[in-house]
This record gives sequence, structure tokens and C-alpha cells, in this order.
Amino acid sequence: MTTLKRRAFLTQKICRFCTDKMVRIPFHDVKLLKPLVSERGKIVPSRISGNCAKHQRQLTRAVKRARNIALLPFSVES
Amino acid sequence: MNSYQSILILKPDLEEAQVAQALEKIGADIVKFKGEIVKAEHWGKKRLAYKVKKNRFGYYLNILHTSDPAGIVDLENEYRLFDQIVKYMTIRLDAGEWEAALGAGGEEGAETDKPSEEAGKEKSSEEAGKEKPAEAAKAETEEKTETEEKTETQQA
Repeated sequence: MTTLKRRAFLTQKICRFCTDKMVRIPFHDVKLLKPLVSERGKIVPSRISGNCAKHQRQLTRAVKRARNIALLPFSVES
Repeated sequence: MNSYQSILILKPDLEEAQVAQALEKIGADIVKFKGEIVKAEHWGKKRLAYKVKKNRFGYYLNILHTSDPAGIVDLENEYRLFDQIVKYMTIRLDAGEWEAALGAGGEEGAETDKPSEEAGKEKSSEEAGKEKPAEAAKAETEEKTETEEKTETQQA
């Protein structure tokens, strides 16, 4: 049971930016970044989103820039 | 001479003419520091993710320009002193980023926004399906490791 579920989980781990053949992640594209940020404004870890390391680094940078220019929140108070 | 991208947030209550005036002034500043505006985009009035100087909204300007590296500090000083600018960010672009920014630029509002929108929707729906089993699986694996640890300690 667990192994089955685990396998299903692993097969879903495909980097969404690699599948789109995206070379750069634009920081001003809020619609692209929104699903990769949690409700509280945190960056979703690659362990969950399935992004590759290269794109996760780019994403971190993009999110931080977007935060700086008020496109994304630094934190969301609940 | 490096390539830069300046994103400026202007006060939300400016008229179109005032925005054009501000852009002109900024252009003059950039020229003063041996730069040149290559492209200026109006992203328009947007809701800010957090309050900036008590403003909930802001008028976004995206300026792609070149500049002398030493001039950037002075340019940012000018931005800081210009009272219509609420917030600014200047980043240096490498050659690839510069070309991508210029290439995507003109049709950005019309063309590149739409596919990304659709993609975003698809992704969000996909993700909604994805996340739950992923989380469940994660929780389960964690449980599993815990139980494993326990058995180990018991054995020891």
C-alpha cells in the first residue's frame, strides 16, 4: 500500500519549467509564481513542487525579486 | 556599459500626463549618468502585495536601459529623491536576459501574458490534484521512517 502510494508520488515529480522548456523564470509573471508560493507567502520546496534544482534556484531569485517590488507578499498574516 | 532593468512604482493617483512627465524626467536622469533608455513599458496600475508608503496601489513602470556601472548609485539616489516614485528596483541584466527582455517586451502585454495565464490555470488545477496525494504520501513516508526508527531503537 505504502509502496504504491510512494511510487505514484515519485512519478509526479517532474519539473514544470523543464517540461515547458523555460530557460528563465521571469520575476514579474505573478500568475506563474503564485502556485509556487504557499498561502502564507512562503516558497514551496522543490520536494513538494517537484522542480529541478536549477529551476528552483531561479525560482527563489524570481520570488525574492517579486517580493521586493511588491508583486508578491513577504508574509501573509492569517 | 551594462544593461539594467529599472522597475519603478509611481503614486497611484497620477494622471497619464504626469506619468509621461515623470518618465521624461527619469529619461533625462538616465542620460545624465551616461545611459540610454532602450525601452520603457507601462505595466499600469496594479494592486500592491503590501502597503508601500501607505499606498495600496501603484503605477508600475518598467524601464530597460543601459548605464555606466558607477552611475547606478547616483541614479538610485535620484529615484529616492523623486517624490512621485514610491518604490524602485534596479537589476543588472546579463546578455541573455537583456535579449529575452527586449524580445518579449513589445508584445509582452498582449502575447506572452496569455499563454502563461492558461498555463498557470492548467498548473493550478493540476497541482490541486497533485498536492493532496503528494502530501499524503509524504506524511506516510514520515510515519514510516518514524516507525522504522522505533523498531531500530527497540532492537538496540
